[in-house]
Amino acid sequence: MAYSFHFNQVWPFLPYLLGGAWVTVELAACAFGGGALFGLLVAIGIESAPGWLRGPLAFYRSFFTNTPQLVKILLIFFGLGELGWFVPPFWAAVFGLLLAESAYLAEIFRAGFASVNRAELDAAETIGLTRMQTLRHVTLPHLLQTVFPPLANQFIVSILYTSLGAIIGVEELTGRAFNVDSQTFRSLEIFIIVGVLYVALTLVSTAVLYGFGRFVLGVRARIF
Amino acid sequence: MLHSLLSELPRFFGPYNLLFLAQAIGVTIALTIVGCGIGYNFGFALALLRVQRIIDIPPLRWSAIGFVELVRRLPFLVLLFLVMFGFQAGGYTLTGMAVACITIILRAAAIASETVRAGLESVHPNQWDAAATMNLSRLDQLRHVVLPQAWRVILPPAMIQFIQLLKATSIASQISVIELTYAGKIMNQKGFSATLSYGTVLILYYVLCLAVERVVRRMEKRLVLPQHH
Repeated sequence: MAYSFHFNQVWPFLPYLLGGAWVTVELAACAFGGGALFGLLVAIGIESAPGWLRGPLAFYRSFFTNTPQLVKILLIFFGLGELGWFVPPFWAAVFGLLLAESAYLAEIFRAGFASVNRAELDAAETIGLTRMQTLRHVTLPHLLQTVFPPLANQFIVSILYTSLGAIIGVEELTGRAFNVDSQTFRSLEIFIIVGVLYVALTLVSTAVLYGFGRFVLGVRARIF
Repeated sequence: MLHSLLSELPRFFGPYNLLFLAQAIGVTIALTIVGCGIGYNFGFALALLRVQRIIDIPPLRWSAIGFVELVRRLPFLVLLFLVMFGFQAGGYTLTGMAVACITIILRAAAIASETVRAGLESVHPNQWDAAATMNLSRLDQLRHVVLPQAWRVILPPAMIQFIQLLKATSIASQISVIELTYAGKIMNQKGFSATLSYGTVLILYYVLCLAVERVVRRMEKRLVLPQHH
């Protein structure tokens, strides 16, 4: 291999890249948080909305799970821009990712609702639990057990998808890698460092989410 | 705005553009099938390296785990650039198409390996022991006893991942592979509205994924054995 590595030209940019990692986390948190809210509404809608609304909601879920995130981001950024509404790249990426996120999370929440057994709710009522007690001791434990592990996985997946923001100019980790690349031309070195940062980011997330699930929620599951 | 968009429609869906989009869909399908076809086989092999009952060579097992964990935890875009720059550094200048294929193969292999491993682990260890008692070789234990039971755990997620990888091929547009997303970009650069170009591409992906889903459902029914209780 004739290539000689020159990491020393890239090290000075490490703090800049780490700042990008923080933007990545912000992007993932916004897309995931918004997606969770939307997804919950969609899931409740599909379960309990009047009949005429269920068709459109099912279509929403099917459409946004079966289309690439990148095209959604491009459509929001360039499409809306053309119509005269300039969406800043960060928010275009958030909304593009959020659409798919909400569709996936809706499915996860629905599985959670399904895990709560009707008979157990009746039993809780029979032994005289109040509504709040039922929620706390019967419904929530079931819901968390089924919902937390896939939610945690999905959060880590959404960290990886945020790199698509770089394509429309969001200066997150990958976007900043492009910037450093155009200044130093040490492409391979930069992408190796950025790759290591992504692996570290997801490993830390795995550890934190596992710990949170295990010690706070009492859910023991393999995360990502 | 809507008016100007409508006036573009006849020109947008002219015969040459339709042919161009059809070719782009062909490239997307080819990338997915080649990537998954090869990648799933590698993934299967990687999963076997991690099953101690079949191959018990620790260094091989550790490298398989390392590879899978590394590739799963990189964004597709970053993996794509790593493959491209990696080969360039090694002195091979590959076409965008080749880089995209290799990236999808790596990705598919890592993901499939996790799925296959989960499937194999879902079969109770007694099944292996029973097969060993019948004097089946390790490979026959896998082929005739464990795999037939594991398929029903492996196939449904593998099919979903196939659609995920189809969607991920859109990222190959960033290294100028003329697949469906890049075709949308070219249409936009030809002067058509971005809403129209990317909107059409989005709908085409949806139709494509639904079609794949339908084919896959039918295959699933045929491949998966009914569950015995």
